[in-house]
Amino acid sequence: MMLNHIPDSIEIIDYKDDGKDTRHYRFRLLSKTHHSHWHETQAGQFFMLNVPEVGEAPFTFTEPPNEQNEFSALIRKMASVTSALFDLSKGQIVGARGPFGQGWPHTILKDEYILIVAGGCGLAPLVHLINTLIATTENKKIVLIYGARDEQSQMLIAQQKRWLKTITIYHTLDQVSEDSNFNDGFNLLKGTPLDVLPQALSSFNSLPSKVLLCGPEVMMNSIAQTSIGRGIPETSIYLSLERRMHCAVGLCGHCYLGDQYVCKQGPTFSWQQLQSFRSTA
Amino acid sequence: MVDDLISTICPYCGVGCGINLKVNELGQLKSVEPQSNHPISQGKLCDKGWSTAYAVTNKNRLTQPLKRIKNEFFPISWDEALSTIAVELNQILDDSGPKSIGIISSARATNEDNYAAQKFTRTVLKSNNIDHCARICHSPTVAGLKQSLGSGAMTNSASEIFDTDLIMVFGADPTENHSILGGHIMQAHLKGCELVVVDPRKTRLAKLANIHLQLNLGSNIALVNAMLHVIIKEKWYDENFINERCNGFKYLAQHVAQLTPVSVEAITGLKAVDIYQAAKHYSQAKRAMIFYGMGITQYMSGTNNVISLANLALICGHIGKNGTGVNPLRGQNNVQGACDMGCLPNVYPGYQSVIDTNIQTKFSNAWQCDLDPLEGLTSMGMTKAALAGDLHALILFGEDPVVTDPDQNHVKASLKKLDLFVVAELSMTETAKLADIILPAASFAEKDGTFTNCERRVQLVNQALEPLGVAMGDWQWLQALAKKMGSDQLNWKTSEDVFNEMTSLNPSYEAMTYQKLAKNHGLQWPCNNENPTGTRLLHANTFPIGKARLISVNHTDIDEPTDDEYPLSLTTNRLHFHYGCGSMTRNSPLLERETPPGILFINPENANTLNIAHLDAIGVKSRRGYIETRAIITGDVPIGLVSMPYHFKEAPSNQLTNTAQDPVTKMPELKACAVSVIPLPKGVEPKSIQQLLEGD
Amino acid sequence: MNIYLLDDIKKLQLHLTYQYQLHQIVKNNQGQSHWQQISTDQFPTLLHEKAQTSIKDFFFAQQENILVFNGEYFQETLPSPNPFVLFGVQSCDLVAVNYQDKFFKNDPYYQARRKHCLLVGLDCISPCEHGFCPTVNAGPGVRSHTADLILHPLVNQPLEKPQWLLIEGSEKGAMAIKHMTIKGQPLETAHWHYLTQRDLTLKACKQKFSDDSHINIAIEKINNNNVSAVFWQKVAIQCIGCSGCTSLCPTCSCYGTRSIKLPNDNISQERFWDSCLYEGFQKEASFHNPTAEAGKRVERFWRHKFSDGIATEFDRYGCVGCGRCEQTCPGVIGVHSIMKRIANDA
Ligand code: SF4
Ligand code: FES
Repeated sequence: MMLNHIPDSIEIIDYKDDGKDTRHYRFRLLSKTHHSHWHETQAGQFFMLNVPEVGEAPFTFTEPPNEQNEFSALIRKMASVTSALFDLSKGQIVGARGPFGQGWPHTILKDEYILIVAGGCGLAPLVHLINTLIATTENKKIVLIYGARDEQSQMLIAQQKRWLKTITIYHTLDQVSEDSNFNDGFNLLKGTPLDVLPQALSSFNSLPSKVLLCGPEVMMNSIAQTSIGRGIPETSIYLSLERRMHCAVGLCGHCYLGDQYVCKQGPTFSWQQLQSFRSTA
Repeated sequence: MVDDLISTICPYCGVGCGINLKVNELGQLKSVEPQSNHPISQGKLCDKGWSTAYAVTNKNRLTQPLKRIKNEFFPISWDEALSTIAVELNQILDDSGPKSIGIISSARATNEDNYAAQKFTRTVLKSNNIDHCARICHSPTVAGLKQSLGSGAMTNSASEIFDTDLIMVFGADPTENHSILGGHIMQAHLKGCELVVVDPRKTRLAKLANIHLQLNLGSNIALVNAMLHVIIKEKWYDENFINERCNGFKYLAQHVAQLTPVSVEAITGLKAVDIYQAAKHYSQAKRAMIFYGMGITQYMSGTNNVISLANLALICGHIGKNGTGVNPLRGQNNVQGACDMGCLPNVYPGYQSVIDTNIQTKFSNAWQCDLDPLEGLTSMGMTKAALAGDLHALILFGEDPVVTDPDQNHVKASLKKLDLFVVAELSMTETAKLADIILPAASFAEKDGTFTNCERRVQLVNQALEPLGVAMGDWQWLQALAKKMGSDQLNWKTSEDVFNEMTSLNPSYEAMTYQKLAKNHGLQWPCNNENPTGTRLLHANTFPIGKARLISVNHTDIDEPTDDEYPLSLTTNRLHFHYGCGSMTRNSPLLERETPPGILFINPENANTLNIAHLDAIGVKSRRGYIETRAIITGDVPIGLVSMPYHFKEAPSNQLTNTAQDPVTKMPELKACAVSVIPLPKGVEPKSIQQLLEGD
Repeated sequence: MNIYLLDDIKKLQLHLTYQYQLHQIVKNNQGQSHWQQISTDQFPTLLHEKAQTSIKDFFFAQQENILVFNGEYFQETLPSPNPFVLFGVQSCDLVAVNYQDKFFKNDPYYQARRKHCLLVGLDCISPCEHGFCPTVNAGPGVRSHTADLILHPLVNQPLEKPQWLLIEGSEKGAMAIKHMTIKGQPLETAHWHYLTQRDLTLKACKQKFSDDSHINIAIEKINNNNVSAVFWQKVAIQCIGCSGCTSLCPTCSCYGTRSIKLPNDNISQERFWDSCLYEGFQKEASFHNPTAEAGKRVERFWRHKFSDGIATEFDRYGCVGCGRCEQTCPGVIGVHSIMKRIANDA
């Protein structure tokens, strides 16, 4: 029987800050006793981080486990588990279980036109995917809209600068301060991703063949609906949902969405799937 | 040993639901379940009841006596703890006399523990300096109903909720605070009983009610007087009942003659027609029951508020009959019992006055010692005396005044001034942290005894577990302490012995025995030779004072209206998933998850103006203090009113609340004061009061 | 599978105690029925009354530690109970265990306990309060795939000479009584016509259940999406989030986890029963809460009991008709109350 409840031990090997209260963590798997699929991790899948004496919380991989058994995650300080992690130093041992859930659709590698919309921390689950897309293909057009509340809460700026060579990036901020930098290569706008959506869409020759969304649910809903209104089929829109999780294996019930469990059938869903679950929600 | 299912009583609120504790073969508490055949709870429990196991078995329980040296606590033996206390108490008695020591017992402890506490105070310490927490909940009930009816308890019984035609809930939130009773009200309402709710907030019951009078804070008397006016003018009162059973009708009628509904529209914020309708429905109902809570008592006008409700019930004859009455909903599981046991500075067990010489003689004969002929200090009096340097020692059990008392900073300062401060508790509370000696108390699951619920039902509490560590029941350590002090006044072998001594001195408990309690699922007092199976309904034929008094009372404005600096009114409320200072419920991971530690309810419109989003961190300021917490945006509070639960030690509402008092009972006006609310910068966590005070 | 006639049930109890720890429903001194371990050979009589608490906590513990972390490694801590028999389980509870067996198929803790248990079912021959098992295909007779052994009290027996049918439900059950003898004789095989008699008795029992057409009407409305969000919001005002329904429901299985320190300073992860009706159940660290509205939580609970989606996955509805929630709900939205309201007003 699979002991999916038991973490493997991981060591914190490094971390560095990325914006306020956010850090890139680098971990190394010390054992692979309880989970055997670490090296098959798909972009968009997640793991459960276990900080002993505090608890567990789900995070996506920004870089999946490599041959040295190292992997990365971008972690924002939110509540008890993350605060406790931020207090730990390099070399300390915590736990991880995974990978869990369904990642972004595989077919995406074949797509030519891709629109990605992320809000706040919602960019983290997309990093691995964007990196893969950039590395594996030429001749693709990728447009990213990234929205945040204000400059302080933007994340992954260094990473995004690297992407700028290959993809178009729009930034939106709810609040723009006097000294906001408009000339960093990003197209900066005061507002929300929905406001730049028309502009982004019209930058494609035809409609994007995939739209990927991750961020606050209100934002995803509005983008999805507008995109559908512009003629993008429901089956081409994918999003990644956030839910409270305890077990990550479809047992504890916390991540339910209608009759489905986000930890198992998600966290990525097509808009069409999601509508059918919501009608049973 | 095998596993077993022990029937006992829920330790939380005054409803007194039947709960079963499932104990495994190792003697550990495994789980709880409701008692399906309990007369009140009938197989139900609220979320607090269901999570009892977390409160009893939590890892924060104190398991041995602790002594403070400087700022640290060190474990000591019972013998050392009690010897230390005994020596110091004797010293203080010699140096400063009996008046310099006080005892505050617990409305959560059993009747036996409370009886022992007052007897210890009166016979060992030789004063009447004994009190408990009722002062911040329901002292106006005792004072008000005593004047109007002659007795300060719930007049009717919970089961009568199903025998009435109209229920009027006044300043109470029973589904949150007395959930099972609240559930009964919902059930009765669904079956057709009319429901009228009077509350400034849209409570759960208000959302279901036929009539919700969403009155302005502190305008209860104005409303009731106008209702009286309508009822008298329309001749909807019960003339026979008034003639036979009441005095003072003529004056009351004169008093309210000009107080038309229109005249109170501005004060109450209600429309005259709504007041008229409520008066009509209440008075015309065949049977009507009033339930009220701290939205009545926690005002400067608390006692008068209670009196006005009594007036309303009396002139309509809605009292002394099945399915009627004026029914206070009391907070703690045994607050009724603590009062009945005489844990009050002015009365012996059974509300027998300490200054009545006949009664003094009765007790001094029974206890075979001289008794202090003067009334003692109230808990607030003790705080003051300690600050003034007149009170040197205080023993307190099962209470956390540092969190729950209206004047937190005062209390803290006064406790720090004591020469000896002893606390008996289940776990380390904010108050216990100030103690010189902490005694580990046994939980309700670890002792035998009785609790008296809000409908005067005395019910057996049965021991299911061995006390944790060396924890001890209160009467047991009080007895041991008395012995150490050289007194054998407290001399019992079992809880039943304590109970039997008490019943011999307390006329309303006279005919009760443990056997009878066990057989009948508890008995309601008075239970004496005339009513050997107890009394469901009080005042059926006469009032303890003969005829009831209709007392004319006037509306008084709340003490602290809003102004430019403090533009919002603050009131307090409770959450159904927490209890008191939270020291028990917050051990449950399930209940603790329900909210952030500390919240303020605010209307969307006010939140909008202040640029506050749901769950944003905010600061709340009054003339007395400042705390930080999080905003819950909800239309359940009207524009201009904010509301705050008092369970959280991180953000205690009593840093803010007013200390203006009811002149009769000294009940502070906890339900209304003026505050201002400011959003904290984004991303900033609210600081706990401890951090704020330490300037951290 | 074989069927036998049994005159003295105590003989069966005794025989089973040679291999199993015996648990049975008894009443405590306040008259409450509950499961208790029987450690004497004074076997209590079989009670035809379901216990207030179902048997789910024999397998899915209310609180248990699932691992230990010693500072370096995480290790599972599986329970290893002695073999035990639950003697006299009503059909609704057996059907529920069968449902949970599927749900917890890959849960090592559940299965570690479950595999040590022998289930002896007991046919109900008269309806219980609030029960409606026939309507949801869960009783009153024990479904043979849900029990290892089935007891059926034969009616029309003289009072002083009760007789039972003992029916083998599984290989495991057959093994458990394989060597049982009475006064040196093997068990008396029963003629098949006794099974016909059993059917008749059970059919007669079914007739005695009160009308619960509201359940079927409401199930249909729920699945045709004929119950509005506004309706759910309205009834949800009555939900005080007590967790009574989810605690007593034999098919509810949500749990929470927390990390705790053990007395020896090792760390463990504890899991404990949770309730989807708590407001905080889905609240995330960011405070975002997809089911902040009580209406959504109440709707979800009832869908989980009666939606066709669940029925497809588990071959049956999530509700087994025991009626426990009706009794325990302080807010008067237990199964009969809510289904009546859906049938009449939604
Ligand atoms: S209503 Fe009161 S007595 Fe009843 S279970 Fe809840 S807290 Fe306990
Ligand atoms: S996290 Fe437990 S079911 Fe999804």
